[in-house]
Amino acid sequence: MSAPALETRGLSRRFGGLEALSDVSLSVEPGTVLGIIGPNGAGKSTLINLVTGHLKPSSGSVCVDGREVTGQRPWVIARAGVARTFQIVKPFRELTVRDNVAIGAMYGPDRAGSVKDAQRRADEVLERVGLAGRGEVPPGELGVADARRLELAKALALGPRLLLLDEVMAGLRGSEIEPALELIRSLRDEGMTIVAVEHIVKVILSVSDEVLVLHEGRELTHGKPAEVVKDERVIEAYLGQRYAKRMAGGNGDA
Amino acid sequence: MATDPQAGKPASAEGPGGARRLGFLSGRAGWVAAAVALLFFIALPVQLYGSQQRTLAAAFMFVALAQGWNLIGGFAGYPSFGNVVFFGLGGYTTAILMAKAGASFYVALPAAALVGLGFAALMGVPVLRLRGHYFAIATLGVAEGMREVVLNLDGLTGGGSGLTVPAVGSEATTSYPGNAGFYYMFLALAVLATAVVLWVSRSRFGYGLRAINQDEDAAAAMGIDTTRAKIGAFALAGVITSLAGAMYAFQQITIYPVRLFDVQFTLLMVVMAVIGGSGTVVGPVLGALGLLFLSEYLRDNLTDYHTIVFGVIIVVAVILLPQGLVRFVRDGWRTRRFSLLDNVRAYRL
Amino acid sequence: MTEFLQSTVYGLLQGGLLALVAVGFSLVWGVMNVVNLAHGTFVVLGSYVAWQLNKSAGVDPFLGMFAAAACLFVAGYAVHMLLINQVIKAPIWMTLLLTFGLELVLINAMVLLFSGDFRSINTGWAGDAIALGDVRIPYGRLAGFLVAVGLTLALVAFMSRTRLGLAIKATGMDRDAARLMGIRARRVYATTFAIAAAMAGAAGAIVGTVGTFSPASAPAFTLQSFVIAVLGGLGNMWGALAGGLVLGLVQSWGGQYLSGTLVTAVAFGVLVAVLIVRPAGLLGKPYYEARVET
Repeated sequence: MSAPALETRGLSRRFGGLEALSDVSLSVEPGTVLGIIGPNGAGKSTLINLVTGHLKPSSGSVCVDGREVTGQRPWVIARAGVARTFQIVKPFRELTVRDNVAIGAMYGPDRAGSVKDAQRRADEVLERVGLAGRGEVPPGELGVADARRLELAKALALGPRLLLLDEVMAGLRGSEIEPALELIRSLRDEGMTIVAVEHIVKVILSVSDEVLVLHEGRELTHGKPAEVVKDERVIEAYLGQRYAKRMAGGNGDA
Repeated sequence: MATDPQAGKPASAEGPGGARRLGFLSGRAGWVAAAVALLFFIALPVQLYGSQQRTLAAAFMFVALAQGWNLIGGFAGYPSFGNVVFFGLGGYTTAILMAKAGASFYVALPAAALVGLGFAALMGVPVLRLRGHYFAIATLGVAEGMREVVLNLDGLTGGGSGLTVPAVGSEATTSYPGNAGFYYMFLALAVLATAVVLWVSRSRFGYGLRAINQDEDAAAAMGIDTTRAKIGAFALAGVITSLAGAMYAFQQITIYPVRLFDVQFTLLMVVMAVIGGSGTVVGPVLGALGLLFLSEYLRDNLTDYHTIVFGVIIVVAVILLPQGLVRFVRDGWRTRRFSLLDNVRAYRL
Repeated sequence: MTEFLQSTVYGLLQGGLLALVAVGFSLVWGVMNVVNLAHGTFVVLGSYVAWQLNKSAGVDPFLGMFAAAACLFVAGYAVHMLLINQVIKAPIWMTLLLTFGLELVLINAMVLLFSGDFRSINTGWAGDAIALGDVRIPYGRLAGFLVAVGLTLALVAFMSRTRLGLAIKATGMDRDAARLMGIRARRVYATTFAIAAAMAGAAGAIVGTVGTFSPASAPAFTLQSFVIAVLGGLGNMWGALAGGLVLGLVQSWGGQYLSGTLVTAVAFGVLVAVLIVRPAGLLGKPYYEARVET
């Protein structure tokens, strides 16, 4: 049995008196999608930052593909095959869209030979996420949906095996969500492991193999999406009674 | 963008669209212009008086200093206000080796470069963890502190009384190059520094620095070892700056800590790089040459007021041209709109 | 032992004055993220105002201090509105360069107007001292200390109890939100800068009484303000007081045992070490760390 793509044990992070994340242990099988939901302040972004090395844990451990990476710097973890998107997109504002993505190809685990090769690879990734032909544009000129695509393209340029998505659907219109879901599904089908933090429950339900619910820094529950959504505690803390009633009455459109 | 055959030497350091839509500086035209300029400067000295050769030598020295700053301040975005520390260390290493160990200048020169490299790496490790104002002042603090240290180690450095390099007579370890000699020496250094910046601007390393400049967290998340990149840029700056200091020390023959670690050097190199265009290849060249000639002109013609006028010019230039001359011209060329007022409107409250 | 006590007393007295020198610098940095390299010149300008009044009209510098503060308030407001405001949204080193250029202009203007000679303001009484045992406490320094600390405390009270003070704090935390609430950010910034200049000017008047000054003293005041601002936390007025006292003591004790110039190196060493180990300063998180940058 191969090692889980991502495993954390007792992961915690304190900020002064505040326990942003407390004793979270999870395990994600390779090639699956883990959805993470929970109210604001539950620690979802903190969890991602701890896994990617942007924050050092106060205690606990993180293992990627069975390798311990706890407390390593972000670029070490990126080169170990872990990529992430940021909740508020962070493009390199004075580089073109293509160069933004090319950076990932230049510095990722599978380094491109030259700047030119990196830019070629960037074009392929842009094609994949639906930004083909916009390579010369400055990031400031992109709309919300395209900006998120760029953020995803930057992550994919690293050629990761584990992809952490932080609210990648936020602000998208209904018509933009479905293609994004398709992309995530196709990535998963190619063997990528994905951890997606989301607020849009429909997204989580349709794409996750497993769901983890965080509340006030702790794990509330985890399991198959359909079960988690019916869990009383989850309804109480996050989904709300009206949602539950709608789910019970209708056919589960959030 | 950088490898686009249309992109010329200056274009590669530029922002989106800069390459394709450039007019006059792109591609072969840029290289030809540079070659012509270089040939001009090589042929020039025979036409000049000694004092004019000295002025140009100083201009070339500042080109090198500004380019050195450009790497750490312009590309990486870490505005160092202490680069003069490398200048002084390079100068004093050279002077000490020549005066006390009887070494030839051409042996002291690489030693000075090594000292610059080593100190940059040493200082960079703690100091590059700071950002913005904190980094600026920490570097300033190191430079000021080093001046005091050199001043107080008078057994080795001669302290406030200065240190003299044996340059003439039987004691001289190396024959003194003279005005023309130093002219060519500093020209070579300026060309070397600019070539280094050109190489950086097109390389993976340069992309990494720019990424760090524009968003350090995102850069780290994309696999860039930010510590190593920053120290690398700082070390390159250190080498270039200490080589300049070494040459300066030999040229001046007698050196003093207050001169070799003078904060005016730092401020001048920053002003030149920024007003010329930080993060570009040609910007610091134009800034250094332009501001040095301006300073000399003012000093000759307005002796009493020249510093005040120079200060006023800096203030005005910063307000009207915050992005530097090169970017202003490029953006203006691209959008067919040259407006200084736009600059002011962009940054005022 | 007496020497140690004496240098401790001097250190504290000087430290209180340094706090007043630095408090405006720290405030401006904390509220507007502007590092004013010309801050030291404001101090020296204040010294010259008080000196001139003393020379021409025999005004005691502790009264001339008010004139100095008023002049510098107006000058500071003008400098901000006309110059600094133009680059306030630009990358940080723009303001550094701008204020550097300004420093060049001001220092050289002072040299032209007043010559580069060292001056001091003579009062009949400043040299007399009270004695506590073997320790001498000169009246001038004592008065300077009390006034400086008093003004700093007055500033603290102003910041927390007046509408303008609260407006300044609010703008310092989130400029856009403050504007949405009807606060005129540009005026708030200019007023903050003017207050800082006024404090510096007042400090300058006191400096002239307890020691000598010349245009060349300006950069040292700026550097000391920097150290104090970092030690105490940006925008933190209590921190400026504490930082001033610490720096005053360090310099005074250092001067006892180290050669004069090495003391500056030590001060810088302390600064660099603090920056690396605890960038938030000795007193913990500075007030404006929570600032939302535009």
